[in-house]
Amino acid sequence: MSENGAERTHLLELRELSLSFGGLKVIDGLDLHVDEHEIVSVIGPNGAGKTTLFNLVTGAYRPDAGDILLDGESLVGLPSHKINHRGVARTFQTLRLFLNMTVKENVMAAQYGHTRSTIVEQMLQLPRARREERQINAFAEEKLGFFGERLMGYRWNQPAYSLSYANRRRLEIARATASRPRILLLDEPAAGMNPVETHEITELIGKLRTEAGFTILLIEHDMHVVEGISDRVVALDHGVKIAEGSFEEVATNPRVVEAYLGTSATVTK
Amino acid sequence: MSTVLAFQLQTWNFFFRELVSGLAVGSLYALIALGYTMVYGVLKLLNFAHGDVYMVGAYIGFFLLNALGSPLAPVMPIVPLILLAFAASMVGCGILGVVIERFAYRPLRKAPRIAPLISAIGVSFFLQQTAVLLWSPNPRSYDTFSLRPDSSGIGELFRTAFTIGNFSIQYVQLVVILSTVVLMIGLSLFVWRTRTGKAMRAVSFDAEASSMMGIDVDRVITITFLIGSALAGAAGVMTGLIYQQLNPYMGFGAGLKAFTAAVVGGIGNIGGAVLGGLLIGLTETFTVGYLSSQFSDLILYSILVVFLLFRSTGIRGAPVLQKV
Amino acid sequence: MSTESPSGQPATSPQIGVDEWVRRSGERTAGPGGLLRLANRTPSIVLLAAFIGIACAIPELSSSGYVIGVDADTLLYVLLAMGLNVAVGWAGILDLGYVVFYGFAAYLFAELSSAHYNIHWATWQTVPLVIAATILLGFVLALPSRRLNGDYLAIVMLFFLQIFNNFTTNGYAWNWLGLTGAHDVTGGPTGITNVEPFRVFGHVLSNAPTDYVFVSAAGIFVVAILFHYVNRSRTGRAWRALREDPLAAEMMGIPVKWLSLLAVAVGAGVAGFAGSVNGAYYQGVFPDTFMFPLLITVYAMVILGGAGSLGGVAFGAVVVNVLLEILRTPDHARWVFYAAMILGLLAKLRPWRLLAALTAGLAIFGVVVHEIVGAVWARGVGGPIAVGPTSFTTHGFFATVIRHWMVLPKGTYTAENFRIGNYAFVIVIALVLACTVIKGWKRWALFVPTIWGACFVWETLLVEQAPTTRPLFLGVILIVLMATRPAGLFGTTRVEIV
Repeated sequence: MSENGAERTHLLELRELSLSFGGLKVIDGLDLHVDEHEIVSVIGPNGAGKTTLFNLVTGAYRPDAGDILLDGESLVGLPSHKINHRGVARTFQTLRLFLNMTVKENVMAAQYGHTRSTIVEQMLQLPRARREERQINAFAEEKLGFFGERLMGYRWNQPAYSLSYANRRRLEIARATASRPRILLLDEPAAGMNPVETHEITELIGKLRTEAGFTILLIEHDMHVVEGISDRVVALDHGVKIAEGSFEEVATNPRVVEAYLGTSATVTK
Repeated sequence: MSTVLAFQLQTWNFFFRELVSGLAVGSLYALIALGYTMVYGVLKLLNFAHGDVYMVGAYIGFFLLNALGSPLAPVMPIVPLILLAFAASMVGCGILGVVIERFAYRPLRKAPRIAPLISAIGVSFFLQQTAVLLWSPNPRSYDTFSLRPDSSGIGELFRTAFTIGNFSIQYVQLVVILSTVVLMIGLSLFVWRTRTGKAMRAVSFDAEASSMMGIDVDRVITITFLIGSALAGAAGVMTGLIYQQLNPYMGFGAGLKAFTAAVVGGIGNIGGAVLGGLLIGLTETFTVGYLSSQFSDLILYSILVVFLLFRSTGIRGAPVLQKV
Repeated sequence: MSTESPSGQPATSPQIGVDEWVRRSGERTAGPGGLLRLANRTPSIVLLAAFIGIACAIPELSSSGYVIGVDADTLLYVLLAMGLNVAVGWAGILDLGYVVFYGFAAYLFAELSSAHYNIHWATWQTVPLVIAATILLGFVLALPSRRLNGDYLAIVMLFFLQIFNNFTTNGYAWNWLGLTGAHDVTGGPTGITNVEPFRVFGHVLSNAPTDYVFVSAAGIFVVAILFHYVNRSRTGRAWRALREDPLAAEMMGIPVKWLSLLAVAVGAGVAGFAGSVNGAYYQGVFPDTFMFPLLITVYAMVILGGAGSLGGVAFGAVVVNVLLEILRTPDHARWVFYAAMILGLLAKLRPWRLLAALTAGLAIFGVVVHEIVGAVWARGVGGPIAVGPTSFTTHGFFATVIRHWMVLPKGTYTAENFRIGNYAFVIVIALVLACTVIKGWKRWALFVPTIWGACFVWETLLVEQAPTTRPLFLGVILIVLMATRPAGLFGTTRVEIV
């Protein structure tokens, strides 16, 4: 479905997407696209519809109108786990780890969609089940290794609730990567972090693109992160896209400034 | 020709009799359902023990009636006697409900959802078996009085109130239906017009935020249990009056149907609970009357399963949105 | 209680790279001290072998049919608990219809192996068929989970139980929508009798209960191994993820709806096997068996043992069933009650001085009350201790202590004595509740009349009425467990976001 030349199919494309809760229109005619290996940030004041956007893409909500296309194929109406199998993984604004499972188990659990052994094979420990279990184990260790030493070694068998906040955020990203997505949806990955941690996470997101080859759609409030990492920025307000472009363009866009600050003011870096 | 007419009259007769009977039973379910719906709204807890509180209420009324002279020869005129039975039962059950909440549920406020549910089942079991222990598993009867409509004393209750065509309604059925309506109106006024009622609604939306707004959440929950259990107690006495028979296990089935009534009407919704109760009472009575009395439970519960599957938010409930 | 870090080093010295929380994690998840540690360190297969070994040794060691019968019953309960654990403990689904699977299997087996329909299939045909049919039923009954959330699903499962009960109790005159004539499907309230025992490799397993001890033990062995592997595999992980956070699990590619069905169905399969064993063992199936009280019993076992832990729920099943059996006879029950109370006090009450003071206070209190009541009301003391076969609790030292310490109204257990017991029961409940609320020295002071009162109620009321005491005891277990240790004996304390 991709044509040679100027126009290639976007990896993720939202067309005329709309959603209302009762009488309130939370997403209104939204057009958005993310190309392969891009990092796109979505910004906007609270209530702009950013997390709702993620919920729509991952299938938690069903849009009233419009389409969501992954590599040209529609995701609308699919159950969330199928959407994940197609290649969409996300993290959550309020962390949603499997707290009582170990660190490694969290990452192993996310590989469910890419394994095939049936319950009978597992019960009887038939070859395919054993082989897949080894593969899952190794893959999980590899994914956790992406984050340096923080989630390695003895940490693998610690329950997830024993992790510090920053490590929990990292674990959630690791878990998302374990489901072998094409695109990662990161919902405020730097929320609640101090400047050092923020810097680290910014670098990490960059590494996710350059070393692991992920495409990333990012929601962030911390403009340092947005500025440091985005190829493109999209600004939303009340469910509508009000600006799109490079960080400089969007940050100085009067409509964006007005949405955040309410009056015209210049952005200071 | 006249036989056809007689047959038609008889079937209509039967129908109306079942209708009124169903409304009366439905009113009982409605009263119990109110307690379920209020508690679920505020605590998101399925209070399994509520049905057994209703059973205790029936027994309280029984003991009171027997204490004040046997029902055949009451020491007071019947109207104050019945009112006293209601009062005693409502007070007693209210206290019981408050005690249960305080000791079985409050320690579990922060526990995972399944914990208070299991505890409620434990309390239900405990109440049932305590009743068997203290009051024997043999069924008791309110009655000992004749149901002849023209006898004096409590029997007066069963006198025909009025007649439409060929069928009649008994006083006692009227009492039950009307008092349920009155109690429902009273409860609605309380919930919508008073400050405590407003506090109850606030807590049912978000308990944490309510407590930060200065609402004493513990007190609100206690009052919720108090009112709900008192209503169950009233329903217990009414059951004794209509059906005469009590046994320690009567709370289980009634409780299950009443909770379903609350769900059918939309959980958390007062009018819905009453509506649900009436519907279930009618369905049950008509099933017994027209379809089968042996398998009435099977049919009724099957209907309820189907209903819940297709309309789990109930008739007057609002769809719940999951915030991610 | 010694504290050890995961790496086995003593907890006193700080360790590089291991933060405090991690180092102390061993403490947090450990249960009551030494025994649990031993259990945790022993490889599961050894524990399993030991369990099976003990269970199978009992028929050899004991000549009492009663004891072997209890063994067989307990093993059936262990199977049931292991099956329920899949839905409740692993997947976090409140399967309140579990007993339907058990009963359905039992009835199906009975109908295929008895004179009821005059079908007499061989065991190797019936048992797999029954298991398969029950698994299928599990899928069907779990379908509502696709649309309903936890609480409503629980209610619907309970409805299925009611429907099942109604059908089996009244199924002796069933006609299909009035189309056929009245048809005896389930045998009605008297159930189906003359069910054939298992026939395995030419042997008829008619030596109940011994044969069925071995059958159940074999079943437990197989199920334990299969489930052990499932728990460690992707399905087990997916179930646990589903229990943790169904939404996040779904987003990570786990098909939550399908796995919920699977969990209920797998549990149903185990119940299916247990049901056929039940039919063959008792050679009959009856509607009264498969009702709500049985459901509560199995739940109590799972929760007491620790939902989520295979070994834990098996242990819970043993403990609960054995205790329930002991509560049948006043003699044994009485012994257990006092032993439990003494052990509980010993374990929980520190320092020693407090315990000594309490014991002394209790003794004095009892004797004083005994004397006063004896002086005031002649019939109040001197009553018998036990009605039943003599044992060391009725004569000898122990009995003498009781006689002087306790107020035992004369006359056998008449209605009037019961009434005293009734009031005392309510008063003791009130005292117990008060104890939970009052703090400080007043609480210990209140303990004395509370404990004495509890013993009084026990002696005069509960010990005799076994059919009531047993379920009462179950209800109390559930309430107390939830308030004190929701994870059960062997479950790990869960961290939950509320």
